[in-house]
Amino acid sequence: MGQPDPPRKHTVTWIAITVLLLASLVGMLWVPFYARATPKLGDFPFFYWYQLIWVPIVAVLSWLAYLLIGRGRPAAPGTAATEATAHTGEGSGEEK
Amino acid sequence: MSHVNAVSFTILVALFVVVALTGFAAARWRRTESLLHLNEWGLGGRGFGTFISWFLLGGDLYTAYTFIAVPALIYGVGAAGFFAVPYTVIVFPIVFVFAPRLWSVSRVHNYVTPADFVRGRYGSRGLALAVACTGILATMPYIALQLVGIQAVLTVMGVGGTTNGFLKDLPLLIAFIVLAGYTYMSGLRAPALTAFIKDVLIYVVVIVAIIYIPTRLGGWGHIFSTAGKHLATTNPKTGKPFGSLITPPAGEWAYATLALGSALALFMYPHAVTGVLAAKRRDVIRRNMALLPAYSLVLGLVALLGYMALATPAVTKAVKASGGNAQLSVPLLFEHMFPSWFAGIGYAAIVIGALVPAAIMSIAAANLFTRNIYKEFFRPDASPAHQTRVAQFVSLIVKAGALFFALTLSKTFSINLQLLGGIWILQTFPAIVAGLYTRWFHRWALLLGWAAAMAYGTIQAYRVPVPGQANSHFGGSTAPVLGHIVYIAIAAFIINLVIAIVLTLVCRAFRLPAGADETQPGHYTADPETGPPAPAPATAGVPTT
Repeated sequence: MGQPDPPRKHTVTWIAITVLLLASLVGMLWVPFYARATPKLGDFPFFYWYQLIWVPIVAVLSWLAYLLIGRGRPAAPGTAATEATAHTGEGSGEEK
Repeated sequence: MSHVNAVSFTILVALFVVVALTGFAAARWRRTESLLHLNEWGLGGRGFGTFISWFLLGGDLYTAYTFIAVPALIYGVGAAGFFAVPYTVIVFPIVFVFAPRLWSVSRVHNYVTPADFVRGRYGSRGLALAVACTGILATMPYIALQLVGIQAVLTVMGVGGTTNGFLKDLPLLIAFIVLAGYTYMSGLRAPALTAFIKDVLIYVVVIVAIIYIPTRLGGWGHIFSTAGKHLATTNPKTGKPFGSLITPPAGEWAYATLALGSALALFMYPHAVTGVLAAKRRDVIRRNMALLPAYSLVLGLVALLGYMALATPAVTKAVKASGGNAQLSVPLLFEHMFPSWFAGIGYAAIVIGALVPAAIMSIAAANLFTRNIYKEFFRPDASPAHQTRVAQFVSLIVKAGALFFALTLSKTFSINLQLLGGIWILQTFPAIVAGLYTRWFHRWALLLGWAAAMAYGTIQAYRVPVPGQANSHFGGSTAPVLGHIVYIAIAAFIINLVIAIVLTLVCRAFRLPAGADETQPGHYTADPETGPPAPAPATAGVPTT
């Protein structure tokens, strides 16, 4: 993906945002899924560590979406933002 | 709890003085020619970058709610109180989507409040008035919650709380007057600057507490099991168990709707909007939505202090002795676990953590009154300086209103103050957020939807008794709807939306006048280059890059 043309970039952006939103909403609001004590992580019941672990996940997802959108439009035309996107895009997939 | 620990008290007072002086000195920070303009007093000159915005929004959103109310609920009922974690997880993705649009359109049109936007978008003074009044009303119990938090610390320290009426509230009044004073003087600069001190204190205290206290209590395993046993015992007031370590199936709807409702409501609060609008550039907002979850982690860990308190026999005993005031659990935990000097730092973190947001909230409510009620309906020709003076004065009145909420509503669980505010403020969501994307909704339909939802929400909340007390009111924020216990705010919100949609169809069918819209599509994505819209000092001829 060399230079994404505007409409394509727009679509990618919206897919990213939708995934971010839906993932966190489903992950957090589907309570029956995590309202249980096991499996434990250390001494923490599942209920607690599952919800706490979502905090860094959402932070990473939001940061990815931020990079995809690119910082401010006209100010910095493209380059910096697109580079950054490619860069972090590799690293953070395995973050979990 | 009668004798005052001199060391803790001295440290608390010293830190309080530092914050107060910083607050007053903030008037000179990033100084412009005059503070007597709402862009300056009320929005700090609209010039805050990522770093300061992060502190300001963090100072704004993480309050006595985080440090007193949530742990108190966990202490009292267990897992049900942990909904604050999903709430603060989903709030940032939601805000990520719409806040930049609100920032852009507000920058283009110089809007200071959410009601300004509604006025411009729908050309409706009535709808803007509804949004403004809701904002002011909903902010008061939220500020009241901050006062309850401060009071909890003072009670545990043995300052006030026992003697006669006036002396009892004197320390709180002093804290209050100082807060009011520096807010009056410095406007939004004061909380932005004091937020640094607040956050450093908070992070230090929380990290120490999370690492140190479990080692003294025999580890997390012991904390969870002791808390679980305690929650399973029967509450003599209700005849049911206090709570549980894991949300039971019957509580799942309440848990999810409380999280969702709180998340949708948060950035409708005028003080949260103020924090957003004070940002310098559009991308500052999105970047912060990725950085702010650092605070959510703190919130989650602080919530667990409630369980540590349950696992500390001295704390449970003292809470019982106080007549079951769970708000005392975290300050009591500090008292019993920390050496007195560090307990003093912990107390200061809570008190300052309540003062900073209280300042921002009162500024935001004052902006609303000045722009959308006073200028709109009473003095359309008010000069910027005159507006700012009115806002300064109103910031004092709003705090007095908060005092009223703090003294009259049940304090069994202070979190209900915030949840009550949420029921109201969420009803401005359709007008504001839908308005950022579409003009499809008709202004009158939105107004009637709002009115019905406000009435429904208030009546429902009024009918909830305080647990164990018949014929009491405003004792909780959840109610049974269609066989499930849900957060009243969400039920009211759905009523609001349905009415707005149906009546919009009706209004459109009858071609009722839709009102003027002063915004254009491009305004919602605009990102005017840096610098406040107020005329910059004429450094003529220096080209900006």
